Amino acid sequence: MASLESIFKRLNERNHTLTSPRTPEYNCIAFAAGETHRWWWPIGAYWPDNLPRLESVDGFVLAFETLGYVVCESGNLESGFEKIAIYEKSGKPTHMARQLSSGKWVSKCGNLEDIEHETLELLDEYGSVVRFLRRPS
Amino acid sequence: MPTLALELPAVDVEAKFHRLADAWREETAHLSSMTEIILNPNYQRIIGMGPQVLPILLRELRDNPDHWFWALEAITGTNPTNPEDAGNLQKMRQSWLNFARKAGYVV
Repeated sequence: MASLESIFKRLNERNHTLTSPRTPEYNCIAFAAGETHRWWWPIGAYWPDNLPRLESVDGFVLAFETLGYVVCESGNLESGFEKIAIYEKSGKPTHMARQLSSGKWVSKCGNLEDIEHETLELLDEYGSVVRFLRRPS
Repeated sequence: MPTLALELPAVDVEAKFHRLADAWREETAHLSSMTEIILNPNYQRIIGMGPQVLPILLRELRDNPDHWFWALEAITGTNPTNPEDAGNLQKMRQSWLNFARKAGYVV
């Protein structure tokens, strides 16, 4: 199976760390939500109850509002808040990353590993970050 | 009138499945979008193989758990998983393997 560095051309051994083995049991959306036992997606997987199954950034914001997140301006580290970022490509959400208290980010990459990465731009094969959300930590 | 030969010999079905499954895993490994994962052309070709691929697909689910549920439902026309288990690969896998054993598949 493909390696992360073969897919994400900006990744190298100095700017990211593997933090889990590969698994198809959860994806980046679940991982951003703090879960590692199921795959989150509005179609064909788990999605929070009573929400429209919208495959859109706005639909993802609605899902994370159920967890206490609200939209915020930036991914800058803010004391007292934990943040997540939503990536979009060709008009569809593709990926989410979660910020650590160090200011670095963590991502689960599809069926591949979880990684800790220095910046959001390192995963730009997923497109661009178009929305940030935060909640009190 | 000549007819199209849609049934492949078993050995060819097995080889074709594994070729398509390997390509599917390679092309979708980094994706989170279940929509993109199941609409991948290799995955769709596996669905297109129809009932002849079911025993192989079920063995693959048993031995190398992965997101084969959409293909299984498309081929069989049924879904034996519990709605509350949506997205839970291990629980969905167990429901499908239980269903398969009751239906007479050796898995």
